[in-house]
Amino acid sequence: MPAVTIALKDLRQRIRDRSAFLWGIVAPFGLAFIFSMILGGVADTSNLDVTYAVADLDGGEMGRAFVDEILRPLDEQGLFDIEFVNDEATAESMAERGDVDAAIIVPAGFTDAVNSGAPAAVSVIGNVDTPILAEVARAIASGYADEVNAVRTSVYSLIVLQGEMPDDSELSALAAAARSEPTPLVVGDDSAASKVLSAPTFYSAGMAILFLFLAVQFGVLGLLEERQNGTMGRLLAAPIRRGSIVAGKALTSFVIGISSMSVLVVGTTFLLDARWGNSVGVAILVLAGVLSAMGIMFLVAAFAKTPEQAANLLAIIAFLLAMLGGTFFPVAQAGGLLAKISMLTPHAWFLRGLGDLIGEGRVGAVFPAAFYMVAFGVVAGLLALFRLGKAVAP
Amino acid sequence: MRKVLSIGWVNTVRFLRERSNIFFVFLLPLLIILLLGAVYGGGFESRVGVHVDDAGGPLAESLVATIEDLDEISVQRYDDAGAMRDAVQRGTIDGGLTIPARFDADLAAGEVVEVVFIGRMTEQTSMLLGEAVRGAVAAEAEPIRAARFVEHQGVASFQEALPVATDLAHDEGGRITVTFREAGESAFAEFEGLGNFDVGSSQELVLFMFLTSLAGSAALIQTRRLGVARRMLATPTSTRAIVGGETLGRFSIAMVQGLYIMVGTLLLFRVDWGDPFGAVAIVVVFALVGAAAAMLMGALFSNDQQAGSLGVLLGLGLAAFGGAMAPIEIFPATMKTLAKVTPHAWAIDGFAKLVRRDGNIVDILPNLGVLAAFAAAFMLLGAWRLRRVLTR
Repeated sequence: MPAVTIALKDLRQRIRDRSAFLWGIVAPFGLAFIFSMILGGVADTSNLDVTYAVADLDGGEMGRAFVDEILRPLDEQGLFDIEFVNDEATAESMAERGDVDAAIIVPAGFTDAVNSGAPAAVSVIGNVDTPILAEVARAIASGYADEVNAVRTSVYSLIVLQGEMPDDSELSALAAAARSEPTPLVVGDDSAASKVLSAPTFYSAGMAILFLFLAVQFGVLGLLEERQNGTMGRLLAAPIRRGSIVAGKALTSFVIGISSMSVLVVGTTFLLDARWGNSVGVAILVLAGVLSAMGIMFLVAAFAKTPEQAANLLAIIAFLLAMLGGTFFPVAQAGGLLAKISMLTPHAWFLRGLGDLIGEGRVGAVFPAAFYMVAFGVVAGLLALFRLGKAVAP
Repeated sequence: MRKVLSIGWVNTVRFLRERSNIFFVFLLPLLIILLLGAVYGGGFESRVGVHVDDAGGPLAESLVATIEDLDEISVQRYDDAGAMRDAVQRGTIDGGLTIPARFDADLAAGEVVEVVFIGRMTEQTSMLLGEAVRGAVAAEAEPIRAARFVEHQGVASFQEALPVATDLAHDEGGRITVTFREAGESAFAEFEGLGNFDVGSSQELVLFMFLTSLAGSAALIQTRRLGVARRMLATPTSTRAIVGGETLGRFSIAMVQGLYIMVGTLLLFRVDWGDPFGAVAIVVVFALVGAAAAMLMGALFSNDQQAGSLGVLLGLGLAAFGGAMAPIEIFPATMKTLAKVTPHAWAIDGFAKLVRRDGNIVDILPNLGVLAAFAAAFMLLGAWRLRRVLTR
């Protein structure tokens, strides 16, 4: 098997000069580590650590209902933490300092106001740097206020349409009836399994696929180097078929690609807390990713005359595809035309396949993504073979 | 001195003749700034999808309008429920609301109608968005509930009562209201009023100037490996002239790139760089830092493949540490302090002073000073090491 012999020689050489190790493992792992450490906390939306300060200055039934029936259950669900305070000034200064994301203040005399139909205002004070979380607090408070208002609006609508003012006893009977009118709109929950990669997983997978394209270049560069160093002529003079030479170089790329990806998957799982999901699914994606990388890189290299030229072209294509594919920042999630362009890269499919695998939890979820990646690889690879034939010449 | 200049010149020309360098130096930075502007320029609003299962009606539209009125939350319409669900799962939107078919008709007929919020229930953003939507739905339910009450009391029909109830529900007087205001000093106040590309441009400028410089260390290694350095030394050229010339080469490449990004973003994206003297001063000093770092790197390594991969790692890694990928303002406190050991953080802070605080060259003197110190330290180490390896 001359192909294996050629591949083994190449691999030994690459291990000795450490370049495959640096491009395939050290650089992607280092960057995944740095990015998830620095940018991970910013990008992670699964645990926001939200706290609202709540001051119930009312002490009456309506204030208590708001706190006990609306806010506390959400606290118990883990949506946010409530910090109870006794006065408005404390709540306000907590929101001001950013100790809490928003302060919700139920004013004194709230229950009396509701019962007597007098105006009253729940105040929400949001911290300026967490506007979305402050808006959520406001929406929750408004929802409660509108539920309370519904009784009043019901009774007033009736009075307006009836055109006459009922007496006090009729009024309280109407209010009671209005209270028992059920709400016409309910919100049902439908949980969709998240296919969003956690920050460490995103950066680990993104850097792995980016550098995979650089790691597989060694095989095809080897082909051009043999020519430049004049060893290609000697290989051709030996009783080795041309196909075996190309196969040997491809095998080198394949082994380097698979090994660096495997090391990265295992390494980032244990050291960076990346969650890759079902290992069979990951294996399929890695295999498809390596094939697509090899196909594309071989094709690119087929257009170069010297190894230096090829290396430069490969670097350009690798970074361009990675950038568009969303390995540095989530391009596909931005939507629009950019997201469509993004899906023309194997990188985007690799990340999507991983999201599908994690979200759906079954191996079959990776097949569409794997199919596209392999298709990229096969088409590019066939075109490359067509052209590379010329490279296998002295 | 002429020798220093000519070595520097040859280096620059050699670098710019390589076509792939044109891509990394001139095209990629602007492409990334464009992408960043497109992805993050829209701000950090929470996005919610809305899918109305049929043609909809005034009540359905009113509910959508109420959700649209929520601040910090933008609404994206979906015609296809499956596409909306997919978008939720993939994180394109943080949640989706399905308004069922016959929404208006069923509400008018007195039925209890269920709208469904699809969220990624393992993620807090999504769950919180669900609560905000619930609040909007409660507001929408109020007049409908009132109109039904009137109908049940036999005073008027639902259709007659609804407009009256809607008016009353929007009348602020005598109601329970929610007042809202923001408090505190924003760490991001300075970012207000900046264009989509402003923050990204100074970040990418710094990132790329440094990255390109480090990549240039490969050329230095080749100069050594191919024996060019030895041959130069055989001529009456001092090691000092060679070291100086090589540094000048790296410096001018970084300068060309820095000024190009500055002018390019100014013309293409109308990026504000503030006081031009200050901005150019930062580019000059930072180019020195990059050139000096490249010399150090070129002296420490003897294999250009190794220097290349570590250059990418260091170039991108230090940029991330120094706030060139996410603004330093959002870093945790310890990372903020750590960032100060990177030249990137000092340069970016300098640009921030010029643009966001309307500073001039005097205001950024501390930044220029620290950057100059970085450059001097790298240069001394690099030159010391390079003189040894060149003459070996």
